[in-house]
Amino acid sequence: MSAAESVLTDGPQRVAGSDGVPLSRRLSTRLLRSELRLIAGRRRNQMGLLVLAAVPVFIAVAVRISSPREGRGPDFLSSITSNGLFVPIAALSVELGLFLPLAIAMLAGDAVAGEANLGTLRYLLTVPVGRTRLLVTKYVSLLIGAVWGVAVVVLAGAIAGIALFGTGPMLTLSGTEISFGSAVWRVVLVSLYIAVGLAALGAVGLFISTLTEQPLAATVALMIFTILSWIADSVPQISWLHPWLLVDQWMAFGDLLRDPPFWDNIAQGLRVDLAYVVVFWLLAWARFAGKDITS
Amino acid sequence: MSFFIDHPKARWMLPVAAIGVIGATALTVTQTANADSGLQARTAAQLLADVRSANVSSLSGTVVQTSDLGLPEIPGLGSSGRPGLASSSLTSLISGTHTWRVWLGGPTRQRLALIGSNGESDVIHNGMDVWLWSSADKTAVHHKLSADQVRAGSADKRLPSGLPSGVPSTLPSGAPRTPDEAARAVLGLMGKDTTVTTSGTASVAGRSAYELVLTPNDKTTLVGSVRIAIDSQEHVPLRVQVFSTKLANPAFEVAFTAVDFAQPDARQFAFTPPAGTTVTESGDLTTPKAGASADPAPVKTSADPSAKVQGAPTIVGSGWSTVVVAPYTLPSPQNGGAGGSAADSAAQLGGILKALPTTSGAWGSGHVLQGTLFSLVLTNDGRVAIGAVPPTQLYSALAAK
Repeated sequence: MSAAESVLTDGPQRVAGSDGVPLSRRLSTRLLRSELRLIAGRRRNQMGLLVLAAVPVFIAVAVRISSPREGRGPDFLSSITSNGLFVPIAALSVELGLFLPLAIAMLAGDAVAGEANLGTLRYLLTVPVGRTRLLVTKYVSLLIGAVWGVAVVVLAGAIAGIALFGTGPMLTLSGTEISFGSAVWRVVLVSLYIAVGLAALGAVGLFISTLTEQPLAATVALMIFTILSWIADSVPQISWLHPWLLVDQWMAFGDLLRDPPFWDNIAQGLRVDLAYVVVFWLLAWARFAGKDITS
Repeated sequence: MSFFIDHPKARWMLPVAAIGVIGATALTVTQTANADSGLQARTAAQLLADVRSANVSSLSGTVVQTSDLGLPEIPGLGSSGRPGLASSSLTSLISGTHTWRVWLGGPTRQRLALIGSNGESDVIHNGMDVWLWSSADKTAVHHKLSADQVRAGSADKRLPSGLPSGVPSTLPSGAPRTPDEAARAVLGLMGKDTTVTTSGTASVAGRSAYELVLTPNDKTTLVGSVRIAIDSQEHVPLRVQVFSTKLANPAFEVAFTAVDFAQPDARQFAFTPPAGTTVTESGDLTTPKAGASADPAPVKTSADPSAKVQGAPTIVGSGWSTVVVAPYTLPSPQNGGAGGSAADSAAQLGGILKALPTTSGAWGSGHVLQGTLFSLVLTNDGRVAIGAVPPTQLYSALAAK
């Protein structure tokens, strides 16, 4: 924390904190709440959520009105007719390729580069908040954004799916049927797993966002990172690299739909996610804390 | 914090340190712990006796098989249509990396689940019933075992291999599905021309194991050595690695990544075809086809799933350098019969075989495939020669006929 900051934190409610920042303020969620209000209030984010929600509804309606036919669509598509909860899963598997990373890329682009571009970053830092604390808040809001995006897809899909196909037992990949109640739990686990992966992508995005003052550049750069990862993951000649790629185990969420669930790939995916979060958040911190805020 | 204010550049040390820690952790985890685990030394002969008398009736675990057989990349065979995604089809076992889960609950209950990307193929044996389930096309095939076959299965005190004998399945006959099966194939092959040594202990799937090293004395074979890791308590093979003389890494490996010798839940062996599934009743089982057990080496048969052997094969040589010469006809797209996709892949395979480099000699002319563990020659006069030897040995075998 800088010296100027500790002077500014002097206030009536000051508690004797070790570095001069009152405990109540360090735990305060005011900054986070204002950040979330900003994210939720942006028209482009609202439109983005609408697109995310439209995909599962579109899938459900398309499957409903078409006659059942043989053929290989996206994963889990053929299972929709037996259980409505396959709609959110099919939608997630479709949107995980582009739409969900794009949503994170938009939020990440706005997070630091967007503020710098608007010239609001320096005002934010005079509030007063430490840069580390601002970066934590920005990352937590990205995390919430990831959960938010996935939840919108899953809720829209679940509502459309249950309305059109009902709540039959769910067919697992292993050929057994599980009750609707445990199917709901499986879908929640799938959603959480995907949200963690997107949150790790958010850490990469946050770092890129501290490198530039153009939000669009940060968004595009993160999309390039994502797509390059998918491409690298599909080239068998560099299979030694695959375990280190963020997206490598993203599609492993299907392992949660086996009976019993197969945890090996899920655990590997979570380990990679965690490693990306730690490394890229620290990179963002190293860059942001020493950065000159010129606008 | 003041340190970082005075030295802003020092902040970058933190992410770099994080990368270092993560990299080091990953390396130590993947590196096979070869530390001396305080196991009592056992001779090779004792270990061989241990393996032969192992009696494990319950087990659940995860098996990973990797192979680098030097086969040409065959789209649709090695991997599923999409690159980078493992296929769950049981016929795709012959190349690449595959993961499956095994459950074993006594001699009459076994389950094997091949894990694919968002797909799964299961073989479930429970008493008189054998089910083959495929999630990709939602089909189940039901076999009913005769009482004799059930009894034959229970009489076998060894670790069953996942599938009772005689089940006509889509499984490739050559690929061993458990380390135990692979070890048995290798030990069956092993004759007087093999040096058996131990190389201390290893750690496989978190369990300590003895390692048995089989080295062929025959210098003409492509098999450099075979290492079998044997569980120190249960005496079950946990890992089998086949090294080629051409590669530093194992050319073929089948190993447990997780294993538990407790009795699995009975639920694992229950299968009722779910609604909306196409169920095929296979009818009574006939006698087992000539399969893996008749062939001299497990990896050899996997090389050539398409060439339908119609005449009696000739065996040339013995032990590790056995060469099998057999007449063959390429399956033509017309006689595929089973369906469009089968005919397609047959035509595809025919094309691939024709694209192999050509060679000729005193024995005639044909196409040659040089793998890391075996070679294969398809002659233009309709013969196929295959063996775990370099092509020159195949040529002399073909000429001798």
